Amino acid sequence: MPTLTIDGTEYEVAEGRTILQAIDDLGLLMDQVEIPHYCWHPKLPIDGSCRLCQVEVEGIPKLQIACDTRVQDGMVVHTKTQRVQDARRGVMELLLINHPLDCPICDQAGECKLQDYAFEYGVQHARTEEPRRPAKKGTSLGPTIVFDQERCILCRRCVRFCREIPKTGELGVFQRGDESLLELFPGSELDNPYSMNVADICPVGALTTKDFRFKLRVWFLDDVNSVCNQCSNGCNISVGRSNNKVYRYLPRRNDAVNDTWICDQGRLSYKALDEGRLRSARVNGREAPYSSALREASALLRQARESGGRIVGIASPFVPNEDLYLFRELLSALGAEPATFRVPTGEADDLLITAEKAPTAAGARALGFAEAAPPEDAAELAIVLGAGDLALDRVAGSIVIDAYDSPLAQSARVALPARNFLERAGSFTNHAKRVQCFEAALEPDFEAWSEGELLSRIAAGADVEGFEARFEPARVLKQLAVTVPAFAPCLAIDDQGVELS
Amino acid sequence: MITEPHVTSYLSEHYADDSFRTLDGYLAKGGFQGLKKALALEPEEVIETVKASGLRGRGGAGFGTGLKWSFMPKDDDRTKVLVCNADESEPGSFKDRLIMERGPFAMIEGILIAAWATGSARSFVYVRGEYRTCIESLNAAVAECYEKGYLGDKVGGKKGFAHDMVIHSGAGAYICGEETGLLESLEGKKGQPRKKPPFPAQYGAFGLPTTVNNVESFTHVSYILDRGVEWFRGFGTEKSPGTSLFGVSGHVERPGLFELPLGTPLRDVIEHAGGVLGGRTLKGVIPGGMSMPILPASEIDVQMAEEFLSEKGTHLGTGGVMVMDDTTCMVRVACVISYFFRDESCGQCTQCREGTGWLNKICTRIERGLGTPQDLEVIHEVPALMEGQTICAFADAAAWPIQGIMRHFADDFELHIREQKCPYPGSFEL
Repeated sequence: MPTLTIDGTEYEVAEGRTILQAIDDLGLLMDQVEIPHYCWHPKLPIDGSCRLCQVEVEGIPKLQIACDTRVQDGMVVHTKTQRVQDARRGVMELLLINHPLDCPICDQAGECKLQDYAFEYGVQHARTEEPRRPAKKGTSLGPTIVFDQERCILCRRCVRFCREIPKTGELGVFQRGDESLLELFPGSELDNPYSMNVADICPVGALTTKDFRFKLRVWFLDDVNSVCNQCSNGCNISVGRSNNKVYRYLPRRNDAVNDTWICDQGRLSYKALDEGRLRSARVNGREAPYSSALREASALLRQARESGGRIVGIASPFVPNEDLYLFRELLSALGAEPATFRVPTGEADDLLITAEKAPTAAGARALGFAEAAPPEDAAELAIVLGAGDLALDRVAGSIVIDAYDSPLAQSARVALPARNFLERAGSFTNHAKRVQCFEAALEPDFEAWSEGELLSRIAAGADVEGFEARFEPARVLKQLAVTVPAFAPCLAIDDQGVELS
Repeated sequence: MITEPHVTSYLSEHYADDSFRTLDGYLAKGGFQGLKKALALEPEEVIETVKASGLRGRGGAGFGTGLKWSFMPKDDDRTKVLVCNADESEPGSFKDRLIMERGPFAMIEGILIAAWATGSARSFVYVRGEYRTCIESLNAAVAECYEKGYLGDKVGGKKGFAHDMVIHSGAGAYICGEETGLLESLEGKKGQPRKKPPFPAQYGAFGLPTTVNNVESFTHVSYILDRGVEWFRGFGTEKSPGTSLFGVSGHVERPGLFELPLGTPLRDVIEHAGGVLGGRTLKGVIPGGMSMPILPASEIDVQMAEEFLSEKGTHLGTGGVMVMDDTTCMVRVACVISYFFRDESCGQCTQCREGTGWLNKICTRIERGLGTPQDLEVIHEVPALMEGQTICAFADAAAWPIQGIMRHFADDFELHIREQKCPYPGSFEL
């Protein structure tokens, strides 16, 4: 492997990579190795036009752009010399000639690369007196994106994104020189299933999403690592949370899953997560205190065990691996057959969106659940995680544990509100059998517990051997890794997930 | 209309003769002898001949033509492409136009020799959009070549040597004279230079191995192959052999084209053009098209060849000599130059896009009597930020003339700022 020395530190880097790519591969870019950049993006073709990433390469007289200079073995690079600093300061000053100083009213403030780099590498005072380039303000590019043309620094990331990723090519740079303007191609609209990614990759406040614009200053947001649950791709996301409320999802980079993108449908799915919730426990269709509903559930389970009646389990591909594992263990302890589950399906594309519209069907399969219609023959007790439109006409009694209300939850003997995936930690297994963890982002404003927690308490209340009334997803995942060979790699899981063996 | 140079040599000898624009007329003057001799040689030998001639490209950069040809990949199954850069967009340059209008066959012959040498089956002549007459003349010439077997399946009767030529009209952008901007435009895209590497020889027009040469470069090749390296080296200097068509414009008595050996003193070039207009005093001369740094009157004994001009901090460029007398306001010159480059920058690279605009704003402000001492500081700094830091040489082309003016005529700027007005008579507005 070639070695690359940057500011005196030697790195071993992959063959055939440019300086920025090599440093990014090592995960050190803008962390240990500061090479500011605008037009370069790890998942887009190299453009080489912003010229901010210039560095000094020993043996080459001119400064070189790190984004497009291929590493040669033994290459020695300097990023902190006076020449490099002067070049950066020059680029920053030039970029600011035509950029409005409207940070106080710009929604990008706080996560703006122009702001950040101007502080870090720029000059403090403008030397221009002439008015800035006249351009449009706050125009709509389509259903999802607002465009402040005057803030655009023409890095053309969005242009390359639309051409290369969804391959829709709605955007282009028109005119020339300092009259260059980013525009839609005549007659088109920025309306593709991935359109909102352009706001993420826009380094400035030129492209913002209609959804998040002016909702909240970004410094009030915490980022919580999570995984989108809208299809089986499991795109990694960062949940923007403030005051126990979700304000946005942003894609979180995972080169094995979603690179740096998510689809618009997934991105906006947080908005509907609270619709149709099951908000209170029910016993025989009537609202009941949570604790008495839990006691009732334990009593039902105890009764079914004692009578030796048939117990069936119905699982859900929306329920995390840990809870599914616990469900499996419980059904096995009860001597019941493996649970069945069904997966909703829909449209897929060749980018991120998969046909299975649930996050962890692969997890259910790996745990031995049967992908089948729910059993139609008679049973004494059904334990249901996630009912949907399920009807169980020939089951004497059912315990429904679900985050969402349903006809079955209304007619069940016991219905217990569960937390949705944002309200708890856990893991999903995506279509490529990659297990990915998510953290709890929210606390529900009504009583609700995770499926695993509720199953544990019900089982403990019915004195099922080996079950305690507590549930910690991280501990359960370890246990799962130890007991189910396919899940063994989960012992070393990190925020990028691991593949099942 | 210019029909012939005021001073002629081998290139332009027959430009006054209308028959030279027909194939028969060209053949009657010894045309296509160079191709005939080239086809008797191995391609490698043709490249070696051109290398030995010392011919330097006439599009502005002065790169060795033969050396450039040798970059074309040998073991590559892809179709190889030649592009003739006929975009002639450098202000002050009008030599290629005359070659295409008055002697199109010599250029075509040069392209065919290059095609044989590099194994190219296809060529494109990218002609500046405004050059309607050139396009007509070239189309007529190409049609005649196809008719008489100088283009098509067996070029010049040579079995196995097929070549097709397309005349392509540009749409009027300066940047499409930059070879990779030209290739983008040729492919139907917005004319924006490509980052290099890959260079055109590896990935050129439509992704194929491509060599781009200037009109005049190809034309010299026809004569080199016909008359020989020794003969060619009899013109010009050791490092810059041959003649060149110098286009002289500005404050001279007799503007026009002058075919003179490279190395001719700039003073003589101006003398050929009748000297400074009205016997006035010379102030400065841009020696090689607008993007080259200006020389003050005291430097005009310099010989017009790259090796001498570069010692004086400027370049031969395209040989477009722009003469300015002492009535010329150098701030106005800077305004015109910076306006042009601001308008023509493709807008990709930050330094070029913003730097050209900034320079133009400052020059305009100084000319209007609103300049400040800080502007002088900026006008020194911005070109330094632009030079050598962008995808293509456009930013250099925009920075150099401003640097040149500041090097020799900073007084004019200081005077404008001190007096808060333009000290030269007449009004000026772009």
